[in-house]
Amino acid sequence: MNYSGIVVALKPGRLREGIRALNGLPGTEVYHVDEAQSRVVVVQEAASVHDEVDGMKAIKELPQVAYAAMVYHYFAEDEQIYTTFPKELEQDACSAEACVPEALRE
Amino acid sequence: MELTRRDFLKASIAASTAVTVGIPVGKEAQAAAGEAEAGWQWDKGVCRFCGTGCGIMIATKDGRVVATKGDPDAPVNRGLNCIKGYFNGKILYGKDRLTQPLLRMKNGKFDKKGQFVPVSWERAFDEMAKQFRRAYKEKGPTGVAIFGSGQYTIPEGYTSAKLMKAGFRSNNIDPNARHCMASAVAAFIQTFGIDEPAGNYDDIEYTDTIVVWGANMAEMHPILWARVSDRRLSNDNVRIVNLSTFRNRCSDIADLEIIFKPNTDLAIQNYIAREIVKRDAVNWDFVKKHCVFATGPYDIGYGMRATDKYAFPKEKDTQAKQFRVKLDKYEAIAQRRKPGEIVEQKNAKSAGKHWMITFEDFKKAVEPYTLDFVAELAKGDPDESLEDFKKKLRMLADLYIDPKRKVCSYWTMGFNQHQRGTWVNEQCYMNHLLLGKQCQPGNGAFSLTGQPSACGTAREVGTFAHRLPADMVVFNKKHRDFAEKTWKLPTGYLNPKVGSHITKIMRDLEDGSIKWAWVQVCNPWQDTANANHWIKAAREMDNFIVVSEAYPGISAKVADLVLPTAMIFEKWGLYGNAERRTQAWREQVPPPGEAKGDVWQTMEFAKRFKLKEFWGEQPVPGLKAEGFPDGKLPDVSAQAKAMGYTGEETLFDVLFGTEENKKKYRWPDPVAKGHDNHIAKEYGWFPEKAMWMEYVKFGRGHGHDLADFDVYYRDDVRGLRWPVIQGKDGKWVETLWRFNAKYDPYVKNGDFEFYGPALKKLPSGDLDKVTDPTKKSLAGKAKIFFRPYAAPVEQPDDEYDLWLSTGRVLEHWHSGTMTRRVPELHRAVPAALIYMHPADADKRGLKRNDLARVVSRRGEVLARVETRGRNRPPKGYIFVPWFDESVFINKVTLDATCPISKQEDFKKCAVKVVKA
Repeated sequence: MNYSGIVVALKPGRLREGIRALNGLPGTEVYHVDEAQSRVVVVQEAASVHDEVDGMKAIKELPQVAYAAMVYHYFAEDEQIYTTFPKELEQDACSAEACVPEALRE
Repeated sequence: MELTRRDFLKASIAASTAVTVGIPVGKEAQAAAGEAEAGWQWDKGVCRFCGTGCGIMIATKDGRVVATKGDPDAPVNRGLNCIKGYFNGKILYGKDRLTQPLLRMKNGKFDKKGQFVPVSWERAFDEMAKQFRRAYKEKGPTGVAIFGSGQYTIPEGYTSAKLMKAGFRSNNIDPNARHCMASAVAAFIQTFGIDEPAGNYDDIEYTDTIVVWGANMAEMHPILWARVSDRRLSNDNVRIVNLSTFRNRCSDIADLEIIFKPNTDLAIQNYIAREIVKRDAVNWDFVKKHCVFATGPYDIGYGMRATDKYAFPKEKDTQAKQFRVKLDKYEAIAQRRKPGEIVEQKNAKSAGKHWMITFEDFKKAVEPYTLDFVAELAKGDPDESLEDFKKKLRMLADLYIDPKRKVCSYWTMGFNQHQRGTWVNEQCYMNHLLLGKQCQPGNGAFSLTGQPSACGTAREVGTFAHRLPADMVVFNKKHRDFAEKTWKLPTGYLNPKVGSHITKIMRDLEDGSIKWAWVQVCNPWQDTANANHWIKAAREMDNFIVVSEAYPGISAKVADLVLPTAMIFEKWGLYGNAERRTQAWREQVPPPGEAKGDVWQTMEFAKRFKLKEFWGEQPVPGLKAEGFPDGKLPDVSAQAKAMGYTGEETLFDVLFGTEENKKKYRWPDPVAKGHDNHIAKEYGWFPEKAMWMEYVKFGRGHGHDLADFDVYYRDDVRGLRWPVIQGKDGKWVETLWRFNAKYDPYVKNGDFEFYGPALKKLPSGDLDKVTDPTKKSLAGKAKIFFRPYAAPVEQPDDEYDLWLSTGRVLEHWHSGTMTRRVPELHRAVPAALIYMHPADADKRGLKRNDLARVVSRRGEVLARVETRGRNRPPKGYIFVPWFDESVFINKVTLDATCPISKQEDFKKCAVKVVKA
């Protein structure tokens, strides 16, 4: 699981509606609300880092959202980010200890 | 994961996030947040990526970065991070990190056609020095070069520039920042006599009008854009204008979107100036006291090669315009000539000269830029009506001119990467100065930067071919004298001839005038326009290319020797952001394998050479400076001996590891607070600190003052905006708005003073020429330049029928060498796309996601078509980002530059798109 802390600013007059929309997104939960500045703190839980980035995009695309910014990322226990690698880049990576990356073997 | 642990984690992340951005939470929640982070060591740092300069907090545990968060105490970002900032820790851990030197070899020997083989540092430096000597012996100081960077830390840039200039007597060091903000620099120097913005980011909260010119801030400077959004959302009076050649994400919250044709920003600026004059809105009190009017030549070419010997056959027609231009009707009017007239580009080599003119001449010059004229020329979206476009231009002028409004203009590459980049920057100051809306909280024209230390290192340290630290220049005898004294060198050691700018270094490699080059903290083979030439130059010419890199990008692939290099938090460093703020960080984790910091690499290389190899006479073709024999640097060995040198000292001994530095800046140092320094540990002294303390001597006392090294590492400091002056109470005070007596201690006369010293004596003339060569002083004043509209050198025609602009996307940064290693970012935007209008796609038989070829006179790439993406070009225009090396778009782009700044124009050339 990946967890990220995101601050989301909602458009004026759309705070309540925005909170409902955010809580309606999968894995997304509103924790703190700053009514004065129309901002909320959202924690997003996602099974993979890919889902996490998609989730961020979904938040930004909500019509009530003025902007969303990541603040906190928890990856201490998340070893998979060091071990999984996009397939497209996997071919660039090398396995032997003293190796020349594939990209430089031509 | 069990429920209680999960709930606990989520609550503590929420609390941490809230606390970071200043949203109040209960004590209990705060305590929970602390518990989750127990056992981590947090330290302040600066984001590795853009020029915004966001503060981040980095957590380490067991020699690894385990978490990052926005720094709540950082005034720039106040706890926020964009998606790139968020992954600062992860870029260190890509699987193909380079960890050993690699040399092209065959049968155990270096061979340019050989395969990369891992070698020791010793072997790497041996070959590098051998090849250096070969090039230097044949060509002298102009035969070697360093590709520098706006991502150098300040000590790195200083060390490299010092080795080149004060060691090798060569000015052939130029940063990738040339591609990024050289036009901004040239305009600062020409307008104000000193580099860098007057204002700062706080302007966003003080202003009520934000005009964005050629800058997709929403994607490229998202944290500043969050501040802009906050300002807009919290105040109904605030207006945002987005001027661009295509619709981008800034338009989402803009009140006014103006889509214009490439280069016509020059005409729009003149329309605003004409309106200011016509509506009698000139702030005469400000202008008379603080400004003069000026102009320069129009026939300045396009910064292309002065020969077509190396051009591909298809390029020759564009290339020919370097010499002769046939004016179109829009250019002709501004130059008071006839359409169709052929104009010889006589001032291609003297593009920067300028002279004072009268206000009457200025008024005459802007007169042709009526609403009708400019609207017809500039309207960029064929689907928009001319009347609507005119209405928008009028609204834009109204916003600038409204005496009750404060106005800030922001720009980045749209202005800077421009065949008339210096001009269009100057025009922005023109309007702000005419209105007196400059250098005050909420009022000012502000050049944003793209790289984390384009300002702090490339510009302030002077890693350009013409610069020395603190705005000093190599062609000024007094400046050289000062540098020679500070660097303890004999008089006449430094080379007074400006070296090759970054595009010219590539051209010099192509024509064999440079034979040895070292790439540091950049990826020039991916980021230089018209790249097919430069790849050939690297692989087929007799030269030796060294690339210091963390990951195997395109530059590493074309190299002869690759040096594994430490990244951001694997070394000590300082960066300077776009608002003159210098920020520092400590080494957090060790570099992997045998990777080493650039400071170490440069200093170790210096150990391979003796002073006596350089102090003799050296050939410098074309050198004709005062006090120098023609074509050569003098033999200064006698003076050097008189100073106590024997010639047997290494350049390391002379420039870096001096007895004074070893004694004064010992390692360990209490400022480290337990952090390591992989370089200092080896040397027993602290090179970054020693270099910093030497560097600050250049700027103090003339408007470039920086604080002592340790000050930037204090817990209560989150960067300081220079000039930073130490008061009698010992406190260091930063400067918020320069040239304004209320904020800037350097203002000695009146309410405003543009005290920058450069180019402050000018002859006078009319709009076409100098009429009175007597130079008069304009000390303390800024220049309001008239600059005309100029047509782009290459425009769509029957064969190449579309405009191409390149640029960046939010998730990737620059050439993607780092961000493409972060799986999240790579997956978010895995490949560069061709953003195009659906009708244009349709016309070519293309659908969304189809593969297509983008072809120019210079080269072609293959990519997928996107018709519904975040960037929405008008008909006739495509946008392709350049981060993706598999869509090597710089094979297609044109290497025309602004003739004054020498910055390449990546924003416009002609292409065709055909189905693959």
